[in-house]
Parts: sequence; C-alpha cells; structure tokens
Amino acid sequence: MVDKVTLQVLANHCRAAAENMAYTLYRTAHSTFVKETEDFTVMVMDKTGRVVAVPMDLGATWYPGMNYNRAIDLVDEYRPGDIAFTNDPYSGYLATHAPDTHLWKPIFHEGEIVCFVGGHVHNTDMGGAVPASLSRSLTEIHQEGIRFPPMTLMRDGVFDEKVLAIMSMNVRKPHLNMGDLKALAGALNTGERKILAMVRKFGAKGFMDGLDGLMDYAEHQAREILRSMPDGDYVFADYADEDGVDGNPCRLKLTLTIKGDEAILDFTGSDPQLGSSLNVPTGSDPRHTLLLVGVYYVLYTLNPQLMLNSGLTRPFTCIAPEGTVLNPSFPAAVGMRSLTCARLRSLVFGAFSLAIPERMPAAPAGSSSIVNVMTTDERTHRSVIAAINPVVGGGGGMPHRDGPNGSGADAAYLKNTPIEITETEVPIQFVHYGLLPDSGGPGRWRGGLATVMEFKVFAPNSRITVRNRDRSIFRPWGTLGGLSAETSNFIINPGAANERVLGNTDIAIAEPGDIIHIHSPGGGGRGSALDREPERVLLDVERGYVSAEMAKTRYGVVIVEGAVDLDATAALRATLRPNAHTTHFHFGPERDAFEQVWHARNYDDLTGLLSALPVHWRFFVKTKIFAAIRDAANAGDVETAFAAVRRDYPQVPQVMLTAA
Amino acid sequence: MSWRIGVDIGGTFIDFCALETGTNRFETIKVLTTPDEPGKELLDGLGLLHERHGVAPEEVASFVHGTTVGINTIIQRKGSRLALITTAGFEDVIELARLRMPEMYSLFCARPEQLIPRDRIYGVRQRQLASGEIAEPLDTDALAGIVEAIRTKGVDGVIVSFLHAYRNGVHEAQARALITELAPELFVFTTSEVWPVIREYERTTTAILNGYVHPRVAGYLTALEAALASRGVPAGPMLTKSNGGVMNAQTGKRACVNMLLSGTASGVIGAAWLAEQAGVRNVLTLDIGGTSADLALIIDGQPQFGTGEVVGDFPLFLPSVSVTSIGSGGGSIAWADDFGVLKVGPESAGSTPGPACYGRGGTRATVTDAMAASGFLGHTPLAYNQIGMDRARADAVIGELAGKLGLAPQATAEAIIAVAVSEMFVEVNKLVARYGVDLREFTLMPFGGAGPMLGCFLARELGIPRVLVPHRPGVVSALGGLIADVKGDFIQTVFAAAVPDSLPTLREALARLKTDGLAWIRDDQRFAGPVVEILTADMRYHGQSFEIEVPLSEGWLADGDLAPITEAFHRQHLAIYDFNDIAAEVQIVNLRLVVSGATPRPNLAPAAEAQTATATPEHMIDVWLDGAKREVALYHRDALRNGHRFTGPAVVAQQDTTVCIPEGFEAQVDAWLNLHLSLRPEA
Repeated sequence: MVDKVTLQVLANHCRAAAENMAYTLYRTAHSTFVKETEDFTVMVMDKTGRVVAVPMDLGATWYPGMNYNRAIDLVDEYRPGDIAFTNDPYSGYLATHAPDTHLWKPIFHEGEIVCFVGGHVHNTDMGGAVPASLSRSLTEIHQEGIRFPPMTLMRDGVFDEKVLAIMSMNVRKPHLNMGDLKALAGALNTGERKILAMVRKFGAKGFMDGLDGLMDYAEHQAREILRSMPDGDYVFADYADEDGVDGNPCRLKLTLTIKGDEAILDFTGSDPQLGSSLNVPTGSDPRHTLLLVGVYYVLYTLNPQLMLNSGLTRPFTCIAPEGTVLNPSFPAAVGMRSLTCARLRSLVFGAFSLAIPERMPAAPAGSSSIVNVMTTDERTHRSVIAAINPVVGGGGGMPHRDGPNGSGADAAYLKNTPIEITETEVPIQFVHYGLLPDSGGPGRWRGGLATVMEFKVFAPNSRITVRNRDRSIFRPWGTLGGLSAETSNFIINPGAANERVLGNTDIAIAEPGDIIHIHSPGGGGRGSALDREPERVLLDVERGYVSAEMAKTRYGVVIVEGAVDLDATAALRATLRPNAHTTHFHFGPERDAFEQVWHARNYDDLTGLLSALPVHWRFFVKTKIFAAIRDAANAGDVETAFAAVRRDYPQVPQVMLTAA
Repeated sequence: MSWRIGVDIGGTFIDFCALETGTNRFETIKVLTTPDEPGKELLDGLGLLHERHGVAPEEVASFVHGTTVGINTIIQRKGSRLALITTAGFEDVIELARLRMPEMYSLFCARPEQLIPRDRIYGVRQRQLASGEIAEPLDTDALAGIVEAIRTKGVDGVIVSFLHAYRNGVHEAQARALITELAPELFVFTTSEVWPVIREYERTTTAILNGYVHPRVAGYLTALEAALASRGVPAGPMLTKSNGGVMNAQTGKRACVNMLLSGTASGVIGAAWLAEQAGVRNVLTLDIGGTSADLALIIDGQPQFGTGEVVGDFPLFLPSVSVTSIGSGGGSIAWADDFGVLKVGPESAGSTPGPACYGRGGTRATVTDAMAASGFLGHTPLAYNQIGMDRARADAVIGELAGKLGLAPQATAEAIIAVAVSEMFVEVNKLVARYGVDLREFTLMPFGGAGPMLGCFLARELGIPRVLVPHRPGVVSALGGLIADVKGDFIQTVFAAAVPDSLPTLREALARLKTDGLAWIRDDQRFAGPVVEILTADMRYHGQSFEIEVPLSEGWLADGDLAPITEAFHRQHLAIYDFNDIAAEVQIVNLRLVVSGATPRPNLAPAAEAQTATATPEHMIDVWLDGAKREVALYHRDALRNGHRFTGPAVVAQQDTTVCIPEGFEAQVDAWLNLHLSLRPEA
C-alpha cells in the first residue's frame, strides 16, 4: 500500500514512532544529561541497522545517518524480546565514547526481523580515571571507564542482572545509569509497539519496502543538492587550539570533491592520532556518522524538507586514514571527541563554503563550553556539584541575515538553566550573563555575538570544570570579505590584580571571592563590513552589539551625536576599501601568524611524514618537530626539523618525506 | 426572561450561542468577520440574534466573548512600544532566552525579532538574592537617568524585571513608583505583579506580552463596552481566558496577557462540557479550521493545563489549557515535490482566498477541495448560505495535481486526505507520549468547520475506537465561553525543601494566595456566589529541572504534616514518569491557588425520541472512499433524532460542517443529538 506518492504517510508514521520513543525516554529518564542537555538519540532502523527515522523535537543531532550494522553483527543471536547494547568505541564503531551507551532491539514479525529500533543515552559516569569519565588529559581508552562489547542486555524481555551488576560495580552513579538504561529500554518497547502497528497497517513487505523507499527518497534529495553544486575539489583546513594539555595546534584537513551527484570527503592531511582524548573513532567507515554531521547540517540548510535518514549518506564517501585523529587505532583515548567534532563540522562548513559560497554562512562560534562547579554550601557545609549554563556563541553571518547572537547553527540544540534556579540551588552568585559586544565577526552580515558568563564563588577549593574549550587561539573565520570573530577565553578575576587568564584550560580551582569569567567565541562575518548599510551599523551601536570605535575602524561608519555622518562615512570607507580583505576566508592574525611558519606545504609535509611512521611514534614525533621548528628561530622546514629530532632520538624510524 | 450569550471570533466567522436562562432555549448563529471594521460583526450578530431568535439586547444578562485581538496584536507585531529595565548585567535576558532554537538542523536557524529591541533595554544596579535578601540597594539616581533616556525614545510603557523579584518585589515596586512619578505618561508593569514566578526569562516574557498588548486590548474593551451599552445591553462584557475561565472587561484591561489564548481554551472547555453531557470521560479534541488544527486531551473529564504554550513567536508561561496547534487545516495546500512525493501544507489558502471550491479566488488544491472532489461536500448550504460550494473548481485543481503525480483524480484526492491525516497523526502521537495515555480508552471529538470532515479518518489511523460529533460542531468555542467559570490563578514561589522547617514559609505563602485570590474574585470580579479554591504545588526532586503539579489539601499545611504532601508527590511522579525515589529530597518550588466561581450550566432537556431506530437517508450519493467509488447514504443532521442509528459509510451534512463516516463505523444519536460513532472491532 506504500507507493511513492504516499511515501509521506509512511514517513509520518515512522517519525511518529521516533517522536514517541523520544518523549517516552525524555519523560522517564533520570539523569540531567538526558533531561537538561538532551544528550540522547532514538531511531528507527531497517533490518540491517540503517537509520530510517529520527525525532525532530528532542535529542541530539548527530545520528540520523548512522548505521548500526557492524555492531548488530557482533551479537550472535537475536530472539524476540531481546535488547542488545554496547558502549565500546572500538567494537562496531557505534558508541563514540564510553559514556554513550547504545541499545538496539530487533522487531520480529512472524519469526522474521522486520527492522530494529535503537538509541543512546550519555551516562553521567562510566567509571575510569576521572568523575564523568571525560578529560582531555586521558591517554588511552582504558582510563575512560568500563566498556561493554556488543552483547545481549535483555533476553526474553528480562534484563541480564549480571551485566547490570558489573556496570553498577564500576560506575560512580549507578542509580542514574540504571534509571536511564531502563528508560531507554522502555522507549525501545514503545518503538516496537509502534512498528508492529505499522506492519499491520502497511503489511510486513509494504513496511520494509517502504523503509527502502524512504532511504531512496533521502538519497535522491541529497543527490539533487549535490547536483546543484559546481564540480570540483575544495580544500580546507581548520585547527583545534591544542592537541592536548599544553600542546600544539591540531589540524583537520578536508579535500571535498564534488562530481555530479556524488561527493568524496578526503580527510588525508589531518593530524596523526593524538596522545590526548581528542580522537574521533570512526573505524574506517566511509560513511561514519561523525564524519558526516556537518554534511547533515549543510544539506538540511539547503533543503529544509530533507528526510533525515541514512539514505542521504549514500552519495558521500569519506576517507580518513588509520592512525589519525579522525580514525585512531585502539587503544587511543576518545572521551573528548566532542571538541574535535566541533572542529570537524566547521571544517566541513568551510569546504562547502568554497563550493557554494553564495549559499553558505560564515563559521559559527564552534565551541560551546560545558561548565560544572563543585563547591561547598556555607549554609549546610555540604558539597554541591552542579552543571551551570553552557557558554555558547553565535552563528555565522548568513547570505541573507546576521548570525543569531549567543547561540545558533550547530549549537542551537543546547539549553541553559535560569540564573534564578541556579542561584537558588548552588552557592554561587552571577555577576553577568549576556552578550559580549564587538565579539561577532564584522561583515555585510555580522556574525552572532559571543556569550559571557561571570559568577562569584564563596567557598575554598571550588573546582570549576569547563569542557570543550576551544577557539581561544584560532578564531571562527569570516567569508567573502567578512572578518573573523573574537576568540573565547576563561579568566579568573578579570581585570583584578590576581587575574588568571586560562585560555582553553578546562579545569581550575577557585578561591573564596573569586570571579569566574568565561566567554565563548563569536560567529564569523560574511561579506565586506564596508558594504553593511550604515543605518544597520548605527542600530548595532545603539543596541550595544558593536562599539562606536569598531563601527568606525571595521565598518567605516562615522557616528556623530547618535546619527550617521554620511559624508564622513563615504570618505572613510573610500580610504578603507583599498586595504580591505578580499580572499575567500578571513582567519585573523593568530592563524595567519601560525601559517607563516606552518604553511600548507610544511603541514602537509608533516602529516605525510608522520603517516609513514608507525602509529605509536606519530604524536611523539609531531610534538618534537613542533618544538624543533619553534626553536629554529626563523622557522626551518619539516625535513630539517625531522633530521634534528632523529639526532636527539636515533630510535625514531627513518622515513622519507614524500610529496603530499 | 434573560439571555446569556457566548461569542467566539475566528478568522472567517464569528460564532454566537445564546441561552435563555429560564427555558434553556438554545440558539446559534454564524456571521462572516469584517476584518476592516473590527467590532462591527459583534453588533451585526446581536442584531441578527434579535431579528431571528428574538434575543432582545436589554434581556442580555451575560455577554462572554473570546477574542483574538490580543494574539493578533502579537502575530502582526502591532503592539505597544516598550522599554525594559533589568538588573544590571542581565540586560540580554530576553535575547538569550533559554538558548535552544527551533529548526536545530539548520545553519540558518534564528530567533524571532524581540518585542523590545536591545536599545530600549536598560540595566540598573540593584540586587536581590535567591533568599529575597537585598544585596545591593536600588540605584535610584541611575534609574532617574534611565527614565530620562527612555522618555526620548517615544515609548508607551515600561516593563520592570529584576532578578529574584518573585521572592521580593520591593525594588520593582520602588522602581515603578519612581517611573510613574517622573514620567506619568508611561504605563508600567512589573514582573512581580503580572506573574511572580521563578525563572527570569519566563517571568519577563510574560510581563512583556502583557504590556505589549495592553493598549490595544484595553482600547478594544473600552470600545466594546460602549458598543454594548449603546445597544442597551445591561451586562458588562466578560472575556474568556487562556486558563479556560472568564474575567470581566475591567480586569482584562490590565491583566491582558491572561486572554491571549481565549478562543482555543474555551473550545476545550466547551468540548469538556459536551463530553460530560454525553457521558464520555476521556476525550481527544480536534478543532480544525481553515489554517490550523488544535488538539487537546480531556482526561477523566478534566481539561489538561500547562505552561509554555506558544503565542506567535513567544512562549506564554501562564497556566493555560494545554492545546497543541498544528499548521494543518481545511485550507492546507497539496503539492508534489520533485521526487513525485505528495505533500500537504505547511502553506495554506487560509480564509482568503480559501479552497478553490469556495469560488473566492483559490486556485490550488486544498484538503477541502480533496473532500469536495471525493463527493463529500456540497450537499447542503454551507455556513447558513454564506459560502457557496463549486464542485467543478475542486475537480479542476485536483485534476491538475493528479496530472503532475500521474495518478487518477480520485486517487489523488484520497492521497491528499491520507497525507493530511498522517501529519496530524504525528502530533497526536507526541501528545499521547507526553501524557503517557492509551488512546484506546479515548473518544475523538472533532469540531470546528473541518474537524468532522477528517475526524473518522484520523480516529481510524490512531486506533481510537469512538468518535463523538457534537450537535453543533461549529460553535463549541462560543459555547465554552457561555459556560465557563469565573477563574483566577495565583502563584507564590517558595522554593523550599519539603521539611518541617519550611512550614512557616509555606503557610505564609498560602495566606497571601488566599488574600489575593479572594480580593480578586469578590472585589474585582464582583462574584457573590460560593468560591472554590484549589491548592496545588509545583514539586520536584532535588536536582531535577522541571516540576510536576500536585494537588494539595490545605489541611496538610495547617496540620504541619508534610508526609501526605511528599507521598502525593511520589505517587504522582510514579504515575507520570514510571519511577519515583522515596529517599530523595523533595522540593516545593511554587504554591498555586486557583480561585473560581461557578457559572450555572444549561440544563438542556433531552430531545424527543425518534419514532424509529433507523434513520432514513435523504438520498444516496456517490463518493470516492477507501479506493473505490461507493454509493453512500446522505443524512441531514437536522433530521437525525434522539435514538436514530445507521451505519457507515455515510455522510452527514449540516449547516456548519460535514461529517464523513467511512465503512466500519456504527452511528447512534443521543438525547442531546450528539452523534456517537463507534468503530466495529474487526474494522
């Protein structure tokens, strides 16, 4: 009964099943990760594990193109009433860090599996070296908590108590894990009921054929979008500030090749796998969902009618060489892959900006700090651990409007907590929570402003953790003449004698009376700021988004007594225009200076050389070469630096530098 | 002899219900709206009621109406020019909102333009703590400077919102006094007077919405009072509220934010009363108009209430009847995408030009056209002859779309209905999952112009076994206004642990609620009858981010016994979320008091019983239904009598709508002329 014309009916029924599962999970889960951060997903899959439908109202945005099949195949047998699970990032490449626990359930009809339903929750803690199991400083997966390979969690509708007991024994908040797992299992049972109703309505064959139809539909939509882009190779690189604590920058590089209705995403040239937990495990899967999250955003932006399912990944092929940050080898740590994933998304946005400049925005802020405070309540002397607001930056300037302030683009799913609620529950006092003037990249369409949050602590040894800190060195880029945005920062006691500037550090101990200041990056600008209507610049000044000083220096708008001086503006703009920035991207002075030394050839030489080394040497040698080049006063080349490293460490295998 | 009149103003029509109190005579009419002369239709309607049904203006003892003037002011952005004063350091409260944006997969996601732009938002130094303690005095010198600046901005009014003002409104009151003194031409609303609830964004937004619509709503109500008086209507007008109750116009002029959802809420109140009369406890209401469909659950006879309903681009954080609105209605446009997949909506032909078959300039196929082309419509004059039905136009636009899809016209019409129903299916499923209810225990009640057209199709899709079509589905909202109680909501944020130490705080809050509530209903509303007070608390486990509302007994607080309070919470938590945690600390975030005074319900006499059990169709008509052309019975609603039965497939035509009944449904008419349709289990 499902034909092409009425495919939307099946699509709606599948989406209803997905939304139903999501609400059930959201309603019954226990942890704040599910309730507040909505760090969970649910999905309907076909009988091989390809995702066919996801909710649009609730949950995270990363997995509509996911494929469960490698993990599904690692479990020997499925019976009706079974639920399988895993949280191991290296078995089936489904869970992408240990706190994420994925469950899946086969749906049987007359003895045959017609499809699967599945989903994940981010557990508050999975054990390991640090509370919450996540820290940039961890170096191997074994420090990141207990891992369960794909196995049966529920048989004939009954949980395997042994598995639950082992998990409970090894994690710090077992009741939260148990509550969330049961809520997710409940959601999958809801999904099963909805699927069986669909099988009754459409017939088993009609249902299964219909799922194929929905994936074909998404594939068609994706191909139509690709066909609308000019063929070509589009090369882009972006950098994470540091590859570990006190580290060097980490480059991600992408060669996007568009040919007809297909695209290749070649990540060759990205850094070797890191000695920190910033690695992104993708298992050499040419369509791994983490490599394609940026693509989902691009496709959806270009066609908001897009079906979000794994069919849309079919025209894409990813290449991420093994032993690199985007395809690390076991047992590399992966806990903080979310920081790298943010860079990965901006990398993809940048490459598409080259392919279709007229349709893409500038870079979004691209770094959302997740803030936690551990302090003592002076009234009760009790220790309090609480999640404070995420500090999120604005979107990039769009082809038709400014980037939204304080959130947007790939961070738009995050929520905050009211100041009044936090102050009631946590013994801290906010001083400031608002937008940061002048932080958005100037442009014809301005980038969205950064958010600034400041609060005061009152107890000794208050511990502040700020995860996902990035973009404190390298700015969100502007495009088409638009300028880059302001960087982020983490400062204790800003402007005071005892100020401590912490940049991308993710943990600090504060003293009583200390003011903690965190601000996000802003969004990049798009188009020349000299082309922005003077009235709009004036409005920005009136609204406090842009200072009069910046209006003058960047936008060339002269404001006198609250009005635009048109003649002075025209004259100023005429003098500024010859020196205006004209290349496709504007990265800002930090990246420009870095690339003076580490220009594309040098970095390509580096990654080429490192890729020839055995995996366990790569990060070590990268660090040494960076040091050698830093020491060589005016920047030697990689070959010379490598030779110097081998002089100090003759154990380093000799490899030949090949042209990248 | 006196009459009570309920009125609902919609996009296309304005509906009137009139009830004669002595005899329980009940009359309804429908008038086209006159967008260019707002208010004129009210007088037209009153004239028509007099002319047709003998309702003399001087005999109107009560006049209750639902109006869209508030919500339209917000949607059309035609409200007042406001300034906002916040605690310094928190001026971006409305722009940051709660961060999360709709369309989270789009790089072009954006926030709606705020009702107060940032250049009219000012921070002033002052600070209260969560305890209510004042940590920093209000800087009155700075405030005076701000007022001076505001006066140069040409604003109409000022909203004052300080952190933790729900706990201590002294600084807000002080600020209001100073502003009024320095700038008497400006109206001022503070968050602690509009809705003193914890959560700064929510509280501020509610106060802003109130100020934004205030001048228009007040002006409208003043004009309405004058108009009614000019016709000699002795009753002062009453307004339906988002909470399903009513208030008088005098209160409505200042508490404007309370009437933003007046029409949708009274639809659910009307539906709940009709359901009760028909002996049905669990109902899914489906009110479909031209551009939207409103869904609501009535559980065990009670409409559901919530906060955070969306008004225009903004969430409304007052207790409101929970209604889910979908942009899918009789006017939703069907189209084919480039892959050859049929889509319905989100674009709508609305009331102008409307569906092609209305012959008012519509040229694209809509859901109503699909119904017409399938043969369901046009068997009786529509809307008391105010709208024509041109089947040929429907056939033409459906035929055109059929050509694009490569389908037969009938199959195309049927596919449009299937897709439209499946859009509603998604939203109902979300609603059901949110409440955790089982639809098999529910009855679908379709109303509005297009509800009965699609109701049975949706019921069948959802597995709802029963459908209840009220006697006059077009006037349910107007009826809701007529029977709604006088009702006010009061809140005090206490944020206290449920432990004995908190008792003084809780008792003090309760005393304040009772004082405020009684003053409202007795002094403001002049309600003299018995007052019902319902006390509830918003409670949660420590560390949770949202609360659930738990009914409390006043005695529990008086006795100082917290055990029944926490037990009631644990029980309700288990019922809603499938788990509870007896060992965890329980918090009481807010105490709420609902104060209401009952409006007498009409005591309608049962209709005369039919002489035969079998209804006689007018004649047979050809329709396209479930993949085939069928000859089905056409009934006129006015000819259906108490006790009549018939079976689907059938079509029931009536003045204000058409009821489409597919095969498998058994129909029975009850004593109040409601149509009960039940799906045979095997169907």
